[in-house]
Amino acid sequence: MWWKLTFCAAILCCALGPAGAQTAKSPYIGSAVCYGCHTALSQQFFKNPHYVSIATKKETPDNTGCEGCHGPGRAHAENLGKKSLIIAFSDLSKKQTLENCLRCHANNLSKANIQRSIHTASDVVCNDCHSIHKSPEPKYLLAKKQNELCYGCHGSVRAQFSMPFKHRVNEGVMTCSDCHNSHGTFAPDWRMGARPRLVDQRLGNEEPCLRCHTEKRGPFVFEHASIRVEGCESCHSPHGSMNAKLLRRPVVFTLCLECHNGAGTFGRQNNGVPSQSSSHNLLDPRYQKCTTCHVRIHGSNSDPNFLR
Amino acid sequence: MTIRLFIAAMLALGLEAQQPVAPTQEPVGVLNGETRGIYNVVQSWELGYRFSEVGGNRGEYRSNTNYGNGIRVLSSNLILHSKNGRAKYFDELVLTTQGLGNDPYESAMLRVRKNRVYEYDLTWRQNAYYNPGLVVANGTHFRDTTYRWQDHDFTLFPERHYKLLLGYSRNTEAGPGLSSQQFFDGRGDVIPYFANIKREFNTYRLGGEFDFHKVRLHVVRRWEFYKEDTPYFLNTPTRGDNPLDPTTLTQFSRSEPYHGQTPGWLVNLFAERPRFAVNGRFTYAGGERNFILNETALGTDRFRNNQNRQVIVSGTARRPVTTGDASISLFATTKLTVVNNSSFANTRIDGNNFFQEFDNASLSGSVLNFQFLGIRLFTNSTDLRYQFSRKFSAYAGYHFSDRLIRSIEDSAAPGDAFDGVSAQQTNHLHAGVAGFNWNPLQPLRLHLEAEVGRNDNPFTIVSERNYHAISARAQYRRKNLQASAQYRQNYNNNSITLSSYSSRARNYTGNVSWAARAWVSFDATYANLHLDTLGGIAFFAGTPSPQLISDRQSLYVSNIHSGTLGVRFALANKADLFVGYNITRDTGDGRASSVITAVPVDALLYSVQTFPLTYQSPLARVSYRYSEKLRFNVGFQYYGYKEDFGLFSINNNYRANTGFASVLWSF
Repeated sequence: MWWKLTFCAAILCCALGPAGAQTAKSPYIGSAVCYGCHTALSQQFFKNPHYVSIATKKETPDNTGCEGCHGPGRAHAENLGKKSLIIAFSDLSKKQTLENCLRCHANNLSKANIQRSIHTASDVVCNDCHSIHKSPEPKYLLAKKQNELCYGCHGSVRAQFSMPFKHRVNEGVMTCSDCHNSHGTFAPDWRMGARPRLVDQRLGNEEPCLRCHTEKRGPFVFEHASIRVEGCESCHSPHGSMNAKLLRRPVVFTLCLECHNGAGTFGRQNNGVPSQSSSHNLLDPRYQKCTTCHVRIHGSNSDPNFLR
Repeated sequence: MTIRLFIAAMLALGLEAQQPVAPTQEPVGVLNGETRGIYNVVQSWELGYRFSEVGGNRGEYRSNTNYGNGIRVLSSNLILHSKNGRAKYFDELVLTTQGLGNDPYESAMLRVRKNRVYEYDLTWRQNAYYNPGLVVANGTHFRDTTYRWQDHDFTLFPERHYKLLLGYSRNTEAGPGLSSQQFFDGRGDVIPYFANIKREFNTYRLGGEFDFHKVRLHVVRRWEFYKEDTPYFLNTPTRGDNPLDPTTLTQFSRSEPYHGQTPGWLVNLFAERPRFAVNGRFTYAGGERNFILNETALGTDRFRNNQNRQVIVSGTARRPVTTGDASISLFATTKLTVVNNSSFANTRIDGNNFFQEFDNASLSGSVLNFQFLGIRLFTNSTDLRYQFSRKFSAYAGYHFSDRLIRSIEDSAAPGDAFDGVSAQQTNHLHAGVAGFNWNPLQPLRLHLEAEVGRNDNPFTIVSERNYHAISARAQYRRKNLQASAQYRQNYNNNSITLSSYSSRARNYTGNVSWAARAWVSFDATYANLHLDTLGGIAFFAGTPSPQLISDRQSLYVSNIHSGTLGVRFALANKADLFVGYNITRDTGDGRASSVITAVPVDALLYSVQTFPLTYQSPLARVSYRYSEKLRFNVGFQYYGYKEDFGLFSINNNYRANTGFASVLWSF
């Protein structure tokens, strides 16, 4: 231990020579001094996106390099690395950690809703997902591959993506952030705007499903109203399902009939979702597979019953 | 030794997802990269041969998994960083690819960046989509298409107080398929025909971000163009699936150009101060689509009469959507945060079409249709968070939503007055949420959350009316050991006369990841996802003429057990062995065999109450480290899909032996 202290003291003396004397009153001493003791971190820091503040020399000392996040380092360095004299993220509360990062990152559209995000409420903050100094991922300083990071807490979602019918997240062609913004989202305009589940929305506040499934986006002359009002999840399990087409039921007719029974005040006319035609004998196999005829079930321009 | 342990921990703690056996996860080359000029370079390339041998229903395999045979660039990775952060052309270049060559899931990601000057991101993806003509659609909706996506985003001056944003995205889907239609009346047979699917979606974005007086303004103008030109046709006389129905289609063609655009605006204003943060957003998207449909069909109907039918439909559909959001966050004290959000969304969908039908050269139908669906939603939520101590925080919130739906549906013969059906309805949601987070020990985190909500007039029977959700999670996390357990339940009851719909979902999950030594690590997960729903249904059934049946219920029980196990061994610093197993089993309601009953309607409903099946996939991979920069890898993965009872007495079971051999190197 003694040799570490001696080495740090020597580095400090060199760094705080004439230049140090000139800025003796400033609590900031620059990242070069930090490198003396934190050698392993400094050697790879040029790969870090935060290095831009050092490289360009355009930022103020409180936004530059190590001290940009860890606060002024002079007292810490002069006291031979006393931990209580620097901001150590391992000692911060979740709220303090978030505030520290938001000092710079609040000015970013993708994080505009971070204060009302369920992650923030649940004390899931920046360094739970991002590894600032040891990220193995090439982008966004993620602590792990993105889907594994999310699976760490969302075990049921991991199970859904292990089902036979699923979006190809484990296969690497999709990522969680294709549909979700883990930093918080605006209120959705479907499902009463409730429980946004960090689902990202497009310009027209649409569900992210429509980003890829563009043919189901419309607008259509004849809309399947439940899709616009309640969203795709009315019929589909978006992560994965044991049923084909990510459907919530193994067969279509129960899925349809559970809404289309004519009862109550449901539906767009507020007098029940229309029940099936009396010509449809459910014991006839053709009427058990509704979408065989109602092929444009997501919306049609030609037929109010979605037949073409 | 420390680095080896770190790598072991990263690999072990990252295997929860049970990825496909290839590409290889083990690293090659110098971990921290090598210096080439002013750049630090990290790179690896994996070239290999993938094989598959499938028995059983190959269509189902292609739908679920789809790996085939052939040579692939299984993965590649090239990362350059300038060491001084002031290179002439770029300071960072990241290129990663996966599956190039002919894997069903291919992707490439490129980032090029020069500090303070520009940043360019490209994501390109391709997905081979295969729908084998599923049983649920009577086998008539076959599709073998390719989805391609590309997203380009360019930012000029990414770290300055003003930014220029440019973007372009393109999504396409193309390939052969089958669709179907009922000919020539509402009781005729269903006959499949061909489709040559062609869809294109292009988006252009132009915007900027500006800081003034510590307030940031973000403005994006966006233009989206969509066109679908899928022709449908049939040139060979065809009959439907029903052998008793004499309906025949001898010739069929449909052209249906469907083009349109969605221009839009996004304006966002936000600012964060020590005591408060504000965030306001406005969006507008004015979707419009124009279409013409021309369909001709020749054949014989169910009475063996010759039919010659032409249908022409034309019109326009519009959907302008306007949204506004305003959030204000007050940091009242260092411990208390209050966030209030108000959101407004107004969606107006209207469309008209002119439908004409000519049967045997005479006009049999001519209808004008008009529809309007308006959805106006206002929401307001207030959340409070309080940090009692460094180890304990709690939060509570109240959410209110008000929704107005207006609907007009109208159809009339040309010249007749419109007297459509119009309706209006409102729904109010009141929901409360509360939870806490507790760190009783440094590595242990506990989280509990509950939500209760009430809707007074939900839109559909399966919508939430009286619902509650409870979620609890415990997480233990040390450097080389992670363990967590979670419970979540969602209950909903939507009860009215005839249709008392209830839904109960309970999820139990747990996982453990342990890097026991530098040479061995384990990962195990288990999840139980239970769902049971019960709803009243009404339908027509019976012989000789169908009768209304409204005293039956639709019951669905799903009880899914999902487990993964992965073990990784590093053998004498020369080879890595990974062995894994993944199983997902739906035990349904526990029945051992199909329920047999003499009542046909009951037999039908019993047969679809549950759908037990097993999907499993053991895998093994050996990666031999020939030198620091060269590895040889082989792997095997089995896929087994087995339905216990099938669906409509049809089984789609398959088994597949897949694997790969590859060389992974860094030069």
